[in-house]
Amino acid sequence: MEYNVTVIGSGPGGYVAAIRCAQLGFKTAIVEKYASLGGTCLNVGCIPSKALLDSTEHFHNAGHTFKEHGIELSGLKVNFGQMIKRKGDVVKSNVDGIAFLMKKNKIDVHNGLGSFVDKNTIKITGKDGKEKTITSDYVIIATGSKPTPLPFAPFDKKRIISSTESLELKEIPNHLIVVGGGVIGMELGSVFARIGSKVSVVEFLDNLIPTMDGTLGKELQKSTKKLGMDFYLGHKVTALTSNGQEVTLTAEDKSGKKLELKGDYCLVSIGRRPYSDGLGLDKVGIELDHGRVPVDDHLKTNVDNIYAIGDVVRGAMLAHKAEEEGVMVAEELAGQKPHINYLLIPGVVYTWPEVASVGYTEEQLKANGKVYKVGTFPYKALGRARASMDTDGLVKILADKSTDEILGVHIIGARAADMIAAGVTAMEFRASAEDVARMSHAHPTYMEAVKEACLAATANRSIHS
Amino acid sequence: MAQQVKIPTVGESITEVTIANWLKNDGDQVKMDEVIAELESDKATFELTAPQAGILKIAKQKGETVPIGAVICEITDLAQGAITPAVAQPKPAPAPSPSKSSNGQSKTGGIKEMKVPPVGESITEVTISTWLKKEGDFVTLDEVIAEVESDKATFELPAEASGILRIVAQEKTTLPIGGLICKIEIAEGAPAKAPAASPAVGDGTPASTGSSSYAAGYPSPAAAKILDEKSIPTTAVPGSGVGGRITKDDAVKAQATTGKPSETKPVQTAPVISTGGVRNVRREKMTSLRKTIAKRLVAVKNETAMLTTFNEVDMKPVMDLRSHYKDKFKEKYGVGLGFMSFFTKAICEALKEFPAVNGSIEGEELVYHDYCDISIAVSTPRGLVVPVIRNAELLSMAQIESEVARLAGKGRDGKLSIEEMTGGTFSITNGGVFGSMMSTPIINPPQSAILGMHNIVERPVVRNGEVVVRPIMYVAMSYDHRIIDGRESVSFLVRVKEMLEDPGRMILGI
Repeated sequence: MEYNVTVIGSGPGGYVAAIRCAQLGFKTAIVEKYASLGGTCLNVGCIPSKALLDSTEHFHNAGHTFKEHGIELSGLKVNFGQMIKRKGDVVKSNVDGIAFLMKKNKIDVHNGLGSFVDKNTIKITGKDGKEKTITSDYVIIATGSKPTPLPFAPFDKKRIISSTESLELKEIPNHLIVVGGGVIGMELGSVFARIGSKVSVVEFLDNLIPTMDGTLGKELQKSTKKLGMDFYLGHKVTALTSNGQEVTLTAEDKSGKKLELKGDYCLVSIGRRPYSDGLGLDKVGIELDHGRVPVDDHLKTNVDNIYAIGDVVRGAMLAHKAEEEGVMVAEELAGQKPHINYLLIPGVVYTWPEVASVGYTEEQLKANGKVYKVGTFPYKALGRARASMDTDGLVKILADKSTDEILGVHIIGARAADMIAAGVTAMEFRASAEDVARMSHAHPTYMEAVKEACLAATANRSIHS
Repeated sequence: MAQQVKIPTVGESITEVTIANWLKNDGDQVKMDEVIAELESDKATFELTAPQAGILKIAKQKGETVPIGAVICEITDLAQGAITPAVAQPKPAPAPSPSKSSNGQSKTGGIKEMKVPPVGESITEVTISTWLKKEGDFVTLDEVIAEVESDKATFELPAEASGILRIVAQEKTTLPIGGLICKIEIAEGAPAKAPAASPAVGDGTPASTGSSSYAAGYPSPAAAKILDEKSIPTTAVPGSGVGGRITKDDAVKAQATTGKPSETKPVQTAPVISTGGVRNVRREKMTSLRKTIAKRLVAVKNETAMLTTFNEVDMKPVMDLRSHYKDKFKEKYGVGLGFMSFFTKAICEALKEFPAVNGSIEGEELVYHDYCDISIAVSTPRGLVVPVIRNAELLSMAQIESEVARLAGKGRDGKLSIEEMTGGTFSITNGGVFGSMMSTPIINPPQSAILGMHNIVERPVVRNGEVVVRPIMYVAMSYDHRIIDGRESVSFLVRVKEMLEDPGRMILGI
């Protein structure tokens, strides 16, 4: 065999798997269909959306909070082309970084569509139609996911768009209709709301970011309403059409009451589907399960030498989950026995305020019949938050009523995305709320809210509320 | 009622056992006669059963070595199950102030007698040069407590237990190897290290830092991976972290339990490449069995005048006989006809002629045995064990074979009783099964001789002036020259050789 391990797909799951394989001494190849490495995350996902979120948040602050800070500006306006260009530069530098890492770790990069010929042979078809084959002892499928369209309204990529197109718009929409109030819809909705678009979010369920703790969705709705976003929760979209200039959406609520919205763009962000098209899974006898590649607890498929990780398998579609799985498979192949605690993969929404969460939600604990206690602490009671004027948000700690063990950490507020790592650490070590409450937290920081919420959970004795 | 469970008397000459494994956790509910722990002595592993049903409260942790009669756990019967967890805490609440030093320690009853360890070949006595700790001091395990000098070197003496030092041999005293140096009254917790008082109980919240926390035995992410790779269950590792959590360091130091092969299973699915160049070093605590083997083997080297005599045996006659009759033998007796019965038989005949080979030295007396108890060395996953075939001189070939099969099987399963391994007047070891051509076995004390079998290899030999090919086994006999003279040892081995090369002589006794 030419390679010990071949990874198909170079997203955060795939490239991390490849690097870990190389570190462990495997001769490793990576196959990527697109011209640039990094997959959805780097090219059309996490990184570019964060670039635009940061740019637009600066603009929003310049227009709304600078004056209060004593900074006066005149003639403030958005140079949307520059925003998109800077985003492109950020993507490029990240992608180049991955290319460098592949080189540094002596990983062979094969550009082209990878597909199985048999379980040890991969055919790579280049953009120019040229084919070559490579052989490999092990193969890791890391082909990721694609946005899901509405069944009755496919993406036309001009007016009815997915997250991918929304990052490349040539103009700021006047009225952006967002179908789906999940992570992607709320992030991209915020981007355009901050730079002047009217944004209407239509969500089938009764809560925004519905997979997260209910409190977070409610708080996020309050905060983003201030940006001028409109919400139509509990609405089922029944039709979506475009005439090339204008999109028309119709929906109805549970009572059957009709809603019609007209806008110039409609972002459909109702979820993503696992992507394995053209991979030739039939050649090796892997059958998809609801579109996913079925794997066992060790991420092995039903074929002995083929593994799969990331969005294409079960579990949350998150870059950091895929990365952990990439490391896990590489170490499994080296005979190690790594673990992933899927409960403790944090979920984050990069709106402002940010939303971040780990462990069980209150809804899950209720459903499980768990006896728990809740401690919350609002950002507005934090000195640090008042200083920065980021007073929206709260920390909510869920703990076992009898043992005080922390069962869930839910944060909405400034820098929640970074703070959640402390929640993961505490929970990985099965800390109790009192354990965290007894650890010194630097003052003044946003993290004090976590300590205070833990004090509240311990015995309702937070100091500053 | 809470019943204290003590280490039972498990056999003559066994003074202490090591807790190999707790099969139940602290606070678990146990049934009467349920096996709750595995104990390991230097001779065997055995199981400890619960004398009554109730809640288990562990007093001695896995890996601790405790004397016979010491309390290792308590079982509180269920009628009193209403006891609050606070009372069921394994340790009494620590004194609030570290200044009350005496309260910080809890005596656990055991006394560790520290004796002069064998320090090297030819060293028979040592002198205590300096005590670094004073009588009554609290010493911790592995802390250097004295300097000792022999005629060759000075070395440091580490404490073999944590506790209060009671000096027996004063400075400048000379002691023989094995002489009593001091005693340590085993106690836990140095005064200065008394745990801090538990935090504000006033909130009415459960103290989450107690040693019986819900997280006791919960591994950190790195520890979980390491333990899994070592195939050690988390229940077998005492956590030293906050609330009994298993830290990475605990996992790194954890050793596999007895009964199973202790080696970590390396790479299962790894492709055959090794360019990664891993250079890990693993440290594992020696098991009691391994320590005993090590100690005794060195002692034999030190305390006997051991040398080895060699010979070669033409195995053709035995092999012919065996191939001719093995099917009938198996049919009749239900056991295979191996070489072991021939060797045992031949050795028993030869022992009758050379009683010194079957004897031993006890103090200033020579002890001769009118019976042949033959020890058979059996390699097991845990190490070498040496079960005994009793009165082998009276047994038929079939009886010897079935006894060998029975003992070897029990040995491999770790089921041999101490009774089955004690005694023995002469040993046989067969390195041939692993392919050994020649070796010098070590005597199994207090025996005076051991015969080593080796592999059978076709070699050119001269018979009647012609070179012929014959299946040859080299045999070696190590013996204690203090009791066995050269003439006897060599003649003994020659007799064994003669009988194996002409099995008819065994029947005729010539």
